[in-house]
Amino acid sequence: MNGHTYEILLALGVLAPFVSFWILVFFGPKMGKPGAGWFGVVMGMGIPLVLAIIVLVGWIGELQSGHAGELTANAYRFHWANLGTVPATIGVKLDSLTVAMFFMVALVAFLIFVFSVGYMSGHSDEVDGQCKYSRFFAYLSLFGFSMLGLVVSSSLFFLFVFWELVGLCSYFLIGFYFDKGFASAAAIKAFITNRVGDFGFLIGLMLVFFQLKTLDLDDAAVRFAEQYAAGTGIFASQFTMFGWSLATIMGVGLFCGAMGKSAQFPLHVWLPDAMAGPTPVSALIHAATMVAAGVYLVARVFRLMTPEALMFVAAIGCLTLTLMALVAIVQTDIKKCLAYSTLSQLGYMIFGMGCGAWIAALFHLITHAFFKAMLFLCSGQVIEGCHHEQEMPRMGGLRKKMPVTCWTFFIGVLAISGAGIAGTKIGLGGFFSKDEILAVAYVRAYEWEEGDYHKHDAGEGHGTGHASTVENDGVTYRLASDPVHGDGHGEERAGGAHGDSHGAASKASIFAHIPKLPKWMFWLAIFTAYVTPFYMMRAWWMTFMGKPRDQHVYEHAHEIPLMYLPLVALAIGTFWASYKLFRPLIDDASHAATDAAMVLATNGASHTEAIGAAHQWLKFGVGGAFIVGFVIAIAIYRKGLARAEAIRKAAGPLHVILVKKYFFDEVYNFVWVKGCILVAKIARLFDTYIIDLFVNLAAAFTARLATFSGIIVDNGGVDGVVNGIANTSIDFGDAVRQPQTGRVRNYMLFATAVATIVIICVLIFGLEAQETVASAGSMVP
Amino acid sequence: MKSAGLTKRVALAAVVLIAWGLLVPPALGSGDSATAETIKTQAPGSPIEAVLFYGIAAGTIVCALGVCISTNIVRMAVWLFGALACVAVLYFSLAATFIAAIQLIVYVGGTLILLVFGVMLTSKSASVRFSTARWELIGAGAVCVALLACLAAVFIGAGWTTIEGTGSGVAVADIGRTMITKYVVPFEVAGVLLMIVMVGAAHLARQEKK
Amino acid sequence: MLPDDFLTYLTIGLTHYLVVGAVLFVTGLFTMMTKRNAIGILIGVELVLNSAGVNLVAFDRYMAPGRVDGQIMTLFVIVIAAAEAAIAVGICINLYKNLATVDVDSARKLQG
Repeated sequence: MNGHTYEILLALGVLAPFVSFWILVFFGPKMGKPGAGWFGVVMGMGIPLVLAIIVLVGWIGELQSGHAGELTANAYRFHWANLGTVPATIGVKLDSLTVAMFFMVALVAFLIFVFSVGYMSGHSDEVDGQCKYSRFFAYLSLFGFSMLGLVVSSSLFFLFVFWELVGLCSYFLIGFYFDKGFASAAAIKAFITNRVGDFGFLIGLMLVFFQLKTLDLDDAAVRFAEQYAAGTGIFASQFTMFGWSLATIMGVGLFCGAMGKSAQFPLHVWLPDAMAGPTPVSALIHAATMVAAGVYLVARVFRLMTPEALMFVAAIGCLTLTLMALVAIVQTDIKKCLAYSTLSQLGYMIFGMGCGAWIAALFHLITHAFFKAMLFLCSGQVIEGCHHEQEMPRMGGLRKKMPVTCWTFFIGVLAISGAGIAGTKIGLGGFFSKDEILAVAYVRAYEWEEGDYHKHDAGEGHGTGHASTVENDGVTYRLASDPVHGDGHGEERAGGAHGDSHGAASKASIFAHIPKLPKWMFWLAIFTAYVTPFYMMRAWWMTFMGKPRDQHVYEHAHEIPLMYLPLVALAIGTFWASYKLFRPLIDDASHAATDAAMVLATNGASHTEAIGAAHQWLKFGVGGAFIVGFVIAIAIYRKGLARAEAIRKAAGPLHVILVKKYFFDEVYNFVWVKGCILVAKIARLFDTYIIDLFVNLAAAFTARLATFSGIIVDNGGVDGVVNGIANTSIDFGDAVRQPQTGRVRNYMLFATAVATIVIICVLIFGLEAQETVASAGSMVP
Repeated sequence: MKSAGLTKRVALAAVVLIAWGLLVPPALGSGDSATAETIKTQAPGSPIEAVLFYGIAAGTIVCALGVCISTNIVRMAVWLFGALACVAVLYFSLAATFIAAIQLIVYVGGTLILLVFGVMLTSKSASVRFSTARWELIGAGAVCVALLACLAAVFIGAGWTTIEGTGSGVAVADIGRTMITKYVVPFEVAGVLLMIVMVGAAHLARQEKK
Repeated sequence: MLPDDFLTYLTIGLTHYLVVGAVLFVTGLFTMMTKRNAIGILIGVELVLNSAGVNLVAFDRYMAPGRVDGQIMTLFVIVIAAAEAAIAVGICINLYKNLATVDVDSARKLQG
């Protein structure tokens, strides 16, 4: 395939769910219950999935034949409009990351669509006159459109548009059961929290717009590097805030958008509440795809981040991953438990981005999408099977009733825990992706020295023009030392990485002084790696193992093929994603997408080689974490909830803090909601006693004035004149109306009479008039 | 009523015949220049012509007044017939023989018959009368008299510069030639007009089908 | 007894015909103004058209002798009169069909 075939296919893939959305909006109710759902599956996600597979297969071929970079460089940009002097272009960002993300989103979404057909089968189409069934699939289609559009957008402007569309869909779907108060409240909460993040995003966007004078992702990165090298533009500003330069503020602002969407601390509060939506929605939007959009955004704007901004990103990610994992321990609602685990995993991704583990973070994004979607669908199966029972303490022993769900869930637990055999390449999901993040974090925290890139770059200075690749204890550092001269479109792999003779060592690079990562961040991440297996195993054990605690729930439990077949497919996808497919794609993308930035990566095989080369204890410390977590969890929950109850009592206030989620909701409620109300009350008092005073005085004066002017001036004077005119008009009209008899012959009579009078006048006065005219004419020479 | 109408018709027919006898022979030969000369010398101040003119003018005026005074529609039609015939004779006396013939054929033979048909088709009784308000009659009369006075004053006081002596009438061939050369466009337009009228009248008068 | 310029009265000129035309015109006008019968109005129109014809032929005879323009105009007048009569009779018939009368006073739906 050549030319713009890939772009066209991707664009069609984006548009298909949009078409599906409109058709479902207008004709969905007529399609009825299974019809609308299957239409959504086929049109809304089936077509994009097929196109995604075609593109993926073709793209891998292009990568092997080396044409991919050329295709990326020649991607078409439709010049839509000028925003001032800045062009707004529409285009498909065609690179390996887009292809991988597009495929991932399409595949996961497709399976979830299929699952939804089963999940929603309990809902009749008409509920209180609302076609909820078809509307659900319409929303899902719109979400598919928005998410795929977000993935392929080539410009920050359209990325932002789709970003907001995604948020809108999230709002719709969280509040899908809007007749339940908590659901609509959760939807509003999600929406408002996201607005807070988007405010930062907008600030970042405006800085990009005004300082870099472009909205295209690639152009922005090139300009950013240019301005750094020349000390102009955004780097010429002396403005600082919190000790951050303007360039850092831009990066942090863009990251704020990601904080909202990816639910990072302290904007994480909406995600657990978002579980009020239907479970497939939780799986699709709030676990697999939409929340990953934040990470995707950071990956895309990675080249606009200064080291300070990246440090901020890392700190936020680190706090999130730790705090949320702890909260997950005490959750009893199966969906909320998974929601907090999602928060924690998103924290890992963001943390990875902040560390420079660009590849590992995206890799984790994709593996996480598969196993977390699977976990959520499992929970959906459980909830649906147990008649909307979400409390884990009332479950237990469900493995006999729903074996497929049980064991797919277990695979998810293994994947999220990073289970694998240390020192080998046998493992699942997080074993590769999460542990790679930890490996990079370790290097940044311990083996890094400020200016390391500089050193390594200089060391290889004989032949690294665009990017230098340094092997050090199994970790690769890659840095584009001179991005201005890099073409920015991903040919480094062929040229720079293997060293063309550009000659010069690194020029002044923004990444010349990358600080060390604080050690506490690394240790928190390691600690959480132990916590994660614990709470996941706890959830699984409470739900599926042990004895049934609630006979009523247990008897009703069942599973249906339409719902567990997607689970199996996702389980297979989890295995697959862990090994072969995505890592090379992201690896390739990193060369293009991060040409101006630092990227740290392990060699891509397994963390154990990366870390273990230097520190055997760390290799097994991280690799064996899941065993420790599992053992503790099983030890506590093996015989019912009694031991857990004892620990809970022993923990006391600590447990309360975790159950209350560090009192975030309460604090926010006190500071923002109550604060708002307090300000409103003060404003109201001001209104009532100050402004109203003036208003009332003015009103009283006006009333007096009105009485005077109304009774005396208006009624007597003005109305008299007006009525007089009106009466005269009426009389005149009556008089004039008389000749209007409607008889043509009368009109003729009048016309003739007038004509006769005119003739008589001319006869009598005509001569004089002629003479006057003649004399007047003679005066003119 | 019928007898009165018949009498007048006979009288008018007599007038027409007399006019025909007096004027047509020289007029018919108007293509000849010699005959034109004869008329030219005879025409001004000829007592015969003067008498004839005053007689026919009087007939015209009487008939016209009859039209506007009579209230029965059939009588009006008969008076109109007289007026048209008198005008035709006036045309003869103006040496416009072709026009006079056309006047007789088209007006008397065509238009008038059409009107009579109209009367018969549209009236249950031919003698139906519609009275008009008195003020209308008085007003119309006053206006018309005033207008006539004005027109007469204008015509008499205008001081026309007439060209005498060549008013021998023209050959029908000249009319025909001019019609298809100089006036060919109005001629064609008139033809189109007639066609449209034919179609339009047929449309207007056709029976509504339901 | 007779006035001195008696002979001038015997000399029939343009003015004489014009006056006859004027009388025809005025009577036609009067007919149109006073008749309620639609056909009557039509008859008035015919009179007016005839007055025009008389004037045209008279002007032709006295002011452009030897030329045919005036006569041709009269022909056109006759043609138009015939056409108008045909249409008007058609309208009258339609009026009669719709209102069962040809009284124009009853056809005033368009009056404001």
